[in-house]
Amino acid sequence: MVLNNRNAAAGGVGFGRLPRLTALFRYGGPAAVYAVFGLLIGLPLALVLLQAVMPGLFAVGRGDWFLSLAPLARVFASPAMAGSVLHSLVLGLLAAFTTTALGGAFAVLVQRCDIPLRRTVSLLPWLVFLTPSYLKALAWVLLMSSGGYLAQLGILPPSLGASFFGLAGLVFVHTLSLFPLAVFIIGSALAGLGSELEDAARLSGAGPLRIWLRVNGPLLAPAIVLSFIATFAEVLSDFGLASTIARMSNFGVLTYGIYAAASDYPVDFPAAGAQALVLLALVLLVVVADRLLRRRADPHLISGRAKPARLYDLGAWRWPALTVALIVALLALILPLGAIAARALTSTLGNGLVFSNFTLSNIGAALSPDTPANDGLLRSLFYAALTAVIASVMALLLSAQLGRSNPVMRTTVLGLSLGAVAIPGIVLGFGYILVWNRLPGFRDWPFPQYGAASLLVMGYVAAALPYCLVVILSAIGQLAPSLTDAARLHGIGALRRLVSVTLPLILLSVVTAFLLTFIRTVFELPISQMLIPQSGPPAPTLILKLFSHDRDGLACAIALAAMAAAGGTAALIWYPLNRALAFGRSRPPTTPARPGEPS
Amino acid sequence: MTASLHCSGIRKSLGGRVVLSDLDLTIKAAEVVSLLGPSGSGKTTLLRSIAGLIDPDSGTITLGERVVWSEKSVLPAEKRRIGMVFQDYALWPHMTVAGNLSFGLRAQRLAEHEIAARVGHALEVTRLAAFRDRYPSELSGGQQQRVAIARCLAARPALMLFDEPLSNLDAALREDMRIEMMELVRREAATVIYVTHDQAEAMAVSDRIAVMREGRIAQFDTPRAIYELPADSFVAGFIGGFSVVPGTVRDGLFSVHGAAIDGVRTPGAKAGDGMLVVRPEDARPAEAHPDNRLQGRVLSTAFQGRCWRLAVELGPQRVRLDWPEAPPVGSSLAFSLPPERCIILTA
Repeated sequence: MVLNNRNAAAGGVGFGRLPRLTALFRYGGPAAVYAVFGLLIGLPLALVLLQAVMPGLFAVGRGDWFLSLAPLARVFASPAMAGSVLHSLVLGLLAAFTTTALGGAFAVLVQRCDIPLRRTVSLLPWLVFLTPSYLKALAWVLLMSSGGYLAQLGILPPSLGASFFGLAGLVFVHTLSLFPLAVFIIGSALAGLGSELEDAARLSGAGPLRIWLRVNGPLLAPAIVLSFIATFAEVLSDFGLASTIARMSNFGVLTYGIYAAASDYPVDFPAAGAQALVLLALVLLVVVADRLLRRRADPHLISGRAKPARLYDLGAWRWPALTVALIVALLALILPLGAIAARALTSTLGNGLVFSNFTLSNIGAALSPDTPANDGLLRSLFYAALTAVIASVMALLLSAQLGRSNPVMRTTVLGLSLGAVAIPGIVLGFGYILVWNRLPGFRDWPFPQYGAASLLVMGYVAAALPYCLVVILSAIGQLAPSLTDAARLHGIGALRRLVSVTLPLILLSVVTAFLLTFIRTVFELPISQMLIPQSGPPAPTLILKLFSHDRDGLACAIALAAMAAAGGTAALIWYPLNRALAFGRSRPPTTPARPGEPS
Repeated sequence: MTASLHCSGIRKSLGGRVVLSDLDLTIKAAEVVSLLGPSGSGKTTLLRSIAGLIDPDSGTITLGERVVWSEKSVLPAEKRRIGMVFQDYALWPHMTVAGNLSFGLRAQRLAEHEIAARVGHALEVTRLAAFRDRYPSELSGGQQQRVAIARCLAARPALMLFDEPLSNLDAALREDMRIEMMELVRREAATVIYVTHDQAEAMAVSDRIAVMREGRIAQFDTPRAIYELPADSFVAGFIGGFSVVPGTVRDGLFSVHGAAIDGVRTPGAKAGDGMLVVRPEDARPAEAHPDNRLQGRVLSTAFQGRCWRLAVELGPQRVRLDWPEAPPVGSSLAFSLPPERCIILTA
């Protein structure tokens, strides 16, 4: 690997080539990468940090450069803001704990136990993962509020309904919404573990309990801690629940505090900056902890190839186990989606699920042309498609450029991308306001311009690009270097190698990056809220606005239509492509190879 | 077509460690040469330098009449016309067998009929014609290996490099594949460099073997010459299960360090400390060479088909011997070594 890359750079020093072209190849790639990162992410972030310690920087009228810790002091002195820091921390820790517990148990259940419908059940985390958190939150509001569906069905005691709007409800919805993350992290460690070590322990006379306590447990510990860290960071950065359930319950958290200070009249940029600084510092701590842990943890346990594992025969217990899995499915996916669908198809929430209350008018409004709802929906689908094209093509080109540079550079960019993934969208959105609304030079720049859809799309791209880079870079990293070496020895030039060898082999990953970006962007909330274009709000903003104005039926109809469109498009593209790119493998692995199958 | 290769003064350091130090190697056209050595001896680095996949720090590499690498001019790997069979075969998984063969030929802008002829010929000689439309994932390990060779043959390279090509095959298939592969290579009269750490494989395939140690060539000679007269104890230890026994030579007699046994007659050996090379098959009954009689204790026996392989303790040293029968473990064994077969290497 190292040899190959060193040489890839050296290969440019060929006969009869212009030295300038060589220099462009050698330095142009890294320069382009840094420029893109700097403009899309670095500059906005830097302004947020500056704003936090220079409160007068963008003051209307006359700005000044005085350093001051007053805004930060204000955060910790104000009961509301200090409370939101505390709320964020408590919520993050609690939800990280419950999420890791649920996710870990679910991973063991679907990967290591012979429950019926195992394959179907193992799709659940992916579906939950792709459903945006604020939609699940809104659905739970519909279910749990005093006049909501569960109260109507008589399953919900009023006391439980009341306590839902607060810490308990937030932990509950976060857990159901984020447990896929824990399933992915712990599940891949579990797949890398295989059952060889377990078999060895059995032959040494250890029982199942002992094996889990003394062998599997310690080996999975790094993954469990990583899952805890990752969920903690997700909850800290979450804006979906913060602007729905938390807001309705007056449970202030950092992300919503930033949003309120930056966009509610009168705007208070220094306060937003200071809260963003606190949030970024917390996220940075988490990222550092994650890096340190990953370096120490055995990499082969975290991301190694799946090894065959034996399934536990649960006997008669397989049915209760399946029931537990189905209850998780019910709570995490079926009930929330059902509530949204039910609300979209009814006139009022209060009249409940009776035939006379059913109507198609919400769906009709969302789907008929030239209604505000339909405009918002189409706008979001268009922006999302545009963002997905730009982000995935950019990620591909940058990855290809990186392929020519040295491995240090590749590691740096991968690290930068992983760091950028952790930046909360709300902070990035705030940074965009500072750059494009306040920074001289950018303020009057014609394209993209503050208040225009182009800036919203740029923000979307900034949020999506790190994800795309991570997906595509790791796909390239998995290609055996000998494949491109062999092509070189057969006289194939650099461009042709990229197009004919590398691209076909990573195409599925590129398309996956495209589709994930598309789905994420249709429902992207924080940047949509911060950079609402003057031409009209995108779907996520519209959904929240309609919901808070008691037009939740129409909001649900838009959400339903957007989910159908995004999910349908993704399935229509991904499945045929996956089949077409099988190259002779009768059944290509769609998810990391499942244990228990011959490999 | 097929070309000679000349490397001189090749140096290469990786991460501060010297991998190749001032290495010279000359290979004649149509010769098959193995690079044999333990892992870390620099054989793969040398192979990749010749291919152009890495650049040495200094030296010259000349292929035929043309300098392909020097500090002043570099011919990129794409233009060297060197073929390589990779350890993992490196078959492009998204191309069929025929696609793998023709991809490089198309890039060279050969005429279609020429491409068809070359692909047809390569598939013919490797007995792969029936698999031309299969993808690599639909082939067995041995078939994939043959595709890798066919791909290399179709390109008609000036030099073919083999990077441990048999190491991914199971033992039963390995020998068949080796014979078949070398038959093809000989028929095409290709110049070949073959990297391996398996001395039996190196002996079987090569005209000459370059035994490498720590970035240098310890010995470069025909398999027979290396077998008969290893240059030093490292080469002797690496070849064919030879035992290397430290001791001292005095008046043409070799005595084993720490063992209370009579000396072994080693005519012409220099006086001083030295290493006695014992080839397993040289062991004779004690009465065959009464003057060169040795006695030791049998540690283990293993049946090897035409003989038994014994591990015998000579004082603190151990030697491996081939013996027609299996004496009980722990018993004493007397044997002798033909004086003319006893080589003493300087320590």
